[in-house]
Amino acid sequence: MEVLLGLTGKDFTLVASSKAAMRGVTILKATDDKTRELNKYNLMAFSGEAGDTVQFAEYVQANVQLYSMRNNSELGPAAVASFVRGELAKALRSRSPYTVNLLLGGFDPITQKPTLYWCDYLASLAQLPYAAHGYAQYYCLSTLDKHHHPDIDLEKGLKILRMCSDELKRRLPIDFKGLAVKIITKDGIREEDWVDDKQVLPA
Amino acid sequence: MADRYSFSLTTFSPSGKLVQIEYALNAVNQGVTSLGIKATNGIVLATEKKSSSPLIDSQSSSKVSLITPNIGMVYSGMGPDYRILVDKARKVSHTGYKRIYNEYPPTRILVQDVARVMQEATQSGGVRPYGVSLLIAGWDDGIEPEAEAKDVDEPEAEKKLASGKTGGILKGGPSLYQVDPSGSYFPWKATAIGKSATSAKTFLEKRYTEGLELEDAIHIALLTLKETIEGEMNGETVEIGIVGPPEDRLLGYEGVEGAVGPRFRKLSPQEVEDYLTNL
Amino acid sequence: MVGKDCVAIACDLRLGLQALTVSNNFPKIFSYGDVYLGLTGLATDVSTVADLFRYKVNMYRLREERQISPQTMANLVSSSLYERRFGPYFVSPVIAGINHTTGKPFICGFDSIGCIDFAKDFIVSGTASDQLFGTCEGLWEPDLGPEDLFETVSQALLNAVDRDALSGWGAHVYIIEKDKVTKRLLKGRQD
Repeated sequence: MEVLLGLTGKDFTLVASSKAAMRGVTILKATDDKTRELNKYNLMAFSGEAGDTVQFAEYVQANVQLYSMRNNSELGPAAVASFVRGELAKALRSRSPYTVNLLLGGFDPITQKPTLYWCDYLASLAQLPYAAHGYAQYYCLSTLDKHHHPDIDLEKGLKILRMCSDELKRRLPIDFKGLAVKIITKDGIREEDWVDDKQVLPA
Repeated sequence: MADRYSFSLTTFSPSGKLVQIEYALNAVNQGVTSLGIKATNGIVLATEKKSSSPLIDSQSSSKVSLITPNIGMVYSGMGPDYRILVDKARKVSHTGYKRIYNEYPPTRILVQDVARVMQEATQSGGVRPYGVSLLIAGWDDGIEPEAEAKDVDEPEAEKKLASGKTGGILKGGPSLYQVDPSGSYFPWKATAIGKSATSAKTFLEKRYTEGLELEDAIHIALLTLKETIEGEMNGETVEIGIVGPPEDRLLGYEGVEGAVGPRFRKLSPQEVEDYLTNL
Repeated sequence: MVGKDCVAIACDLRLGLQALTVSNNFPKIFSYGDVYLGLTGLATDVSTVADLFRYKVNMYRLREERQISPQTMANLVSSSLYERRFGPYFVSPVIAGINHTTGKPFICGFDSIGCIDFAKDFIVSGTASDQLFGTCEGLWEPDLGPEDLFETVSQALLNAVDRDALSGWGAHVYIIEKDKVTKRLLKGRQD
């Protein structure tokens, strides 16, 4: 019951992930962070097999940072996505594939455009205006289909995210302990104070 | 142990020379002379086949080799090294090209592949450079569309060049390359390698003309060889390979639509004799 | 699809996991100079194979100082896929292009392990291939000019994908002529 959600707007990308760390039906932690900052403008959210996720995310994080140390320049969102897909595709046909689903939220400092890449554990990569992984796909994509527009501002973006979050709380059988929400803009990555204490009752 | 960890025998001398390569060139320059001449419609490769004893069966040894149906090769220098390179050239033309693209490599690509093999021998551990220089001759079909014959009643003299094919991957046509032990290669209109290369090249410079046809080229090749040859000149002691028009009779079968015969072939001793009598 | 001195190649734009649509802007046709390659099948392999041939064709161009011909490309695709005979890429490629030496159009298709299917008329591939066989068989005729070929290939594709739940959501159509390539985007049904 891991939730990964992302959406882009006029000048921002939102990435939200559930805060519950689960093992089977047991919740081990309610403040889990399923994201890693790759560099100033790139954030990776991940879900999937317990060991693989953090291992892969930090491997990518280290390599993206190594690149900037070696070349004195940051990788853009498209380059990061391409690199991540390449690594995942390489692993897919190796003896030990990574079972990791990803959302890559970014902001391209050159074109000044927000970006969002969706990548599953098979290394299928797609750039999208909004995306989700896991059960969130079934509950949220229809909401996003209806309300999303490429030119929305941050306030509207957060409002749509709230609708998604409410729907998840209403429908998911297990508490996912709310969302951790990160925002990527021209100023970099920041965490949103996401108030999640409102109870949403099933219809 | 030796195959796992060894140093290159070819190392720089303090003056910046690679003496091993110079020694290899010395081996080439003691070798029997070979020559090649490019014509408008083909190429001729020629060499002297020397036998140390009259008891040797000269039929069974060969210095001019087919690499692909359209590419042939001859050498000056060390025979055993040459045979290794022939094997490698034939192999790489398949593994590196025909098995991938289902067509034979263009001459330049094959030359580069062979040159790479020779270059690697100058930098790898535990090996010595090849003691041969090669002449590689081939015909490429070219990929540019055939130019329409503009004028039907062209002067007869210009018709020789009518095909406009002067060699290379794009235009197609004949090309002739020399490859040295260092791995460097040069395209030639006509050249010679081996013991009498210098005098043979001087001779070729005098005899070579633009717009040469294959028959003239074979004639000039034999004349040049005559200047440098030490023994008797006959069908047994002169070896000639030509790249000419496709020889469908050499396919070994007929009736297959679109099948084109090989352009490269060696001349039989009888054919060489015939050319020699007309010299 | 082959026309008179022209060829067409077209694809839909959907990317999905079974019935769930993930993206409606996922082109499946890739250009390699004079040759166009369409790839259907597992999305990850579509990207991997497209990237692999970008690398191989770029190396070919640098080495040989010429563009790759459609026929040579077909053999390259075939040998590259067969190299993975016992762990194949799950793709069914289609090639279209004009051979600039002969001036003749060329198309062919492959199975996932590289068996070439040469055709004079049309090649289909993907989840809607059954439907495409029907529409192409019904609409195609010999010696179509570029404009008519565009209409034929577009109608064949759109009507086929509309009968397939797993395809559609817009299309890309390339009309390739000797010295001109026209790429058109078809909107198609968005449901």
